[in-house]
Amino acid sequence: MEIPSQYPVYDCPHVNTDPVGRTSDIRDSEIRLWIYHHFVETGRAPSPVEIAARFQLTPGEVENRLRRLQDEADALVLLPGSPYIWMAEPFSAVPTSFIVRSGTRAWWANCIWDALAILALVGTDGSVSTACPHSGQPLVVSATRRGLEEAQGIVHFAVPAREWWRSIGFT
Amino acid sequence: MLLFRSEEDIEAWCAQRQITPGAVFDLARLWSLATAWYDDRLNSAWRRRTIPERQAILDAAGLTGSFWSLTAS
Repeated sequence: MEIPSQYPVYDCPHVNTDPVGRTSDIRDSEIRLWIYHHFVETGRAPSPVEIAARFQLTPGEVENRLRRLQDEADALVLLPGSPYIWMAEPFSAVPTSFIVRSGTRAWWANCIWDALAILALVGTDGSVSTACPHSGQPLVVSATRRGLEEAQGIVHFAVPAREWWRSIGFT
Repeated sequence: MLLFRSEEDIEAWCAQRQITPGAVFDLARLWSLATAWYDDRLNSAWRRRTIPERQAILDAAGLTGSFWSLTAS
């Protein structure tokens, strides 16, 4: 299996981390969107402390908001038993077998579907690096704003659509 | 959803794990599905799509039949 030669580089901290001021009016949807922009710009999920600093919330309030975004809005998934973000589809906060790169930015994707989705969401030229789970052969998929360019490999969905959310970590 | 070198690799991988092979298709179709499925994630008014809305995206990508049904038992 291909070993990534370079882990995601977080050198694009353009996401606005300045405190937003008044807190009681902050909607969950604003927090959700900021989490996504944080992923796009930095390649990683914000920590609860970073979310608290941005929105001037207490750690407990952040955890409540994140749990609501998970349990009610179905907007993200937390690492079991923690307030830390595991995934905000299509982004993964933890290393996976799908590395998406565009310029100096990089992201982890939950699966090949999500990897392509990240390229489309970011809207720039980029590539996905993974490896065949059986042979170990490195596979690369590249895309531009116009669509797919290089497309190595064939996609396999192991789980029927109705069961995709039964175990979010295996589809 | 994983990416394999070939259909033979999929069959061997499933056999090793005693898994029934699922659905197989090319990256061009997955690109269409991925772009449509996630095109609203950076919208401020995002909400989880309903099952009929999600099913419509699968249908539009040509993914029909019981494997792709979000409601079949």
